[in-house]
Order: sequence, then C-alpha cells, then structure tokens
Amino acid sequence: MNFYDFHIHPKFSEGESSVEEIARRAKLLGFKGICITNYFTNKSKIKTLKKEISEVSEKLEFKIFMGFSAKTVNQLKKLVRMRKGYDVLLVKGSDLYLNRKAVETKEVDILTHPELNRRDSGLNHVMAKLATKNNVAIEINFREILQSSKNTRSAIMHNIAENVRLCKKYKTPIVICSGAASHWQLKDPKVLISMACLLGLELNEAKKALSELPENIIKMIRERQNEKWVRPGVKVV
Amino acid sequence: MKRLKILKPTLREKNRYTSFQVISEKGEEFTYSDLESAIWNVTLDFLGEYGVSKTSIWLLKDCWNQKKQIGILRCNHKSVQVVIAALGLIDRLGDNRVTFKILKISGTIKSIRKIMG
Repeated sequence: MNFYDFHIHPKFSEGESSVEEIARRAKLLGFKGICITNYFTNKSKIKTLKKEISEVSEKLEFKIFMGFSAKTVNQLKKLVRMRKGYDVLLVKGSDLYLNRKAVETKEVDILTHPELNRRDSGLNHVMAKLATKNNVAIEINFREILQSSKNTRSAIMHNIAENVRLCKKYKTPIVICSGAASHWQLKDPKVLISMACLLGLELNEAKKALSELPENIIKMIRERQNEKWVRPGVKVV
Repeated sequence: MKRLKILKPTLREKNRYTSFQVISEKGEEFTYSDLESAIWNVTLDFLGEYGVSKTSIWLLKDCWNQKKQIGILRCNHKSVQVVIAALGLIDRLGDNRVTFKILKISGTIKSIRKIMG
C-alpha cells in the first residue's frame, strides 16, 4: 500500500526543517509521497518554492507536492483564483465561518484540524454533508495530539472522535496527516493508522484515509495540470 | 507444588510482537532501561493504570539490539493499535529527539527475530 502525508510544514512556513530533511525522513519511514504546506504568499514566492521542491524531488526520487493553506476567507478567495498554480489547497480550520466556507468550496482539498483551539468539534452535520457534496476531506491531525497533554489531549481526542463519527455517518472523506512542523514530528504510517483506529475508524478505513484518499487527490492534481481543465466540473472540449 | 501448570494453548493470552527501530538525532545508542522507562511513562500517561493493565505490554530485554537500536515490544492481540499509537507519542528520550519506525508486527517471536539478524 502506498501511504502519503499531505500536511507538513517546512522551514519557510511555520516549521523548522528543510524540504530535503523532511523528504529524507518521510522516505525512511515508508511514505510514497508528501505534500509540503505553506501559508499564503505572493506569486513570485510560489515559483521559488516550486523550484526548490522539484529539485529535492528529483534528487531523492520521491514525490513531493506543493500545497497552500488558507488562514482567512480572503486568503481562501485569492488561493482559489490561482488554483492552477499549485497542487493541494488546504484550509486551516478553527474559525466556524472559515470551516463553513471551506466545505462549501469545491476547489478545497482538505479542511485541516477544524477543532483547533475550540471547545466544540468545529463541524456539524450540515457541514459534514456539504463536505461530502463538494468532496472536501476532513483531517485527523496527529501533531495536535502529540503536542498536547493531560486534559487538553483528552479534549482534543474527544473532538476529533466526534468529527470522525459525523464523517462516517455522512460518508465524508477523512484524511490522516502528521501536521508535522519538523521532520522529528513525522510519524510512521502504522502509528498514524493506529491513532485513527483509536479515534473511531476501522482498520481498513484508516488505511484508506492514508492511501486511497491522497491518491484521489493526486488524480485530481493530474487532471488540473491538464490544459483543458478550467475549474471543477468544467473542461474545454 | 513449585510451579503453576502451564495453560493449554487455547486458554493462553494471544500475544503480538512489534519490532521497532529508534531513529535518533546523532545516532545515539540508547540503553534498554532508557527505552523501558520512556515506554512506561508514555503508556501510563496516555492510557492510565487501568488501560495499561489491559495491554500486557512488555519490552523484551534479550531482544534489544543496542547497536542497531532495534527492539521488540510484546502486548496482547487486542491492544496492538493502542500500543503502537502510544509508541508514536514518544518524541524525546532524555534530551534527544527520536522517532519510532515500526518494522513488523507478528504473532510469533521466531518470525520477527529474522529481521533483527
């Protein structure tokens, strides 16, 4: 089975490791590919990032995708407009309005940690249905669990389990990511699968969340790279 | 009577053996006791005393390879996922940052020893 981790922050985002360090560690742990996630920047920076990523990818013979994460609704709108320029569009969840906008937008691939810094789970049945309709995956973020402890960790795990329950009911795609900000926070695929099992997924569902769903996203990336692609559902014939 | 009579195979607890490798920053060589205390601390923190009692977790001392930093962790067949998830929560051993790589999960110790060489 090919496993992918679609949420890793490198040095130029909020992380502390270079793209090469991250790629080497991910390859060692048995990942087939990763997605390097950055926050919104201008067009010129995208080009330099793309160059760096492609250089490392060729050097290590390892699949590396470039993703952007939107922190606000304005950033989301701007990133949707330049959707063809990068591979994966993520939305940094936490704000309810932004969570709702993310699941309503077809261009979005992953809504990351909707329960971040919240007392509730950040997702309800209406949003889960919308996410299914627009094919937006909800993320289980390992870093949130890793960096918390005691009562905070149990609250986070409860909220994630609540989201998993909703997603299973409404058949919303779920993706498991490490959310690593350093190559030391990258985890073995088996660890991520085990954690997802503890949060309410069956073993085969957890494996799909780490391999099949990212593969679907990759398929979409390839479609988008086609010159005939205009926007989701629209192609030049 | 000096010893308990050995239970029938059907009555015995079903074990699973997980072999893992510790990847460290500068290739430090951790001892068995370093690792044992880290595993006990994290499992007790994550699962609690009651939770740990259900896992029958044990780090096998004679299978710890200090040079290769490879070891075998035993637990019962119902708690494999819990133990591996807990193992993933260890990110430091002393002052060193570490990552665990899961090599193989097996029902017999014989097959898992082949990896260790």
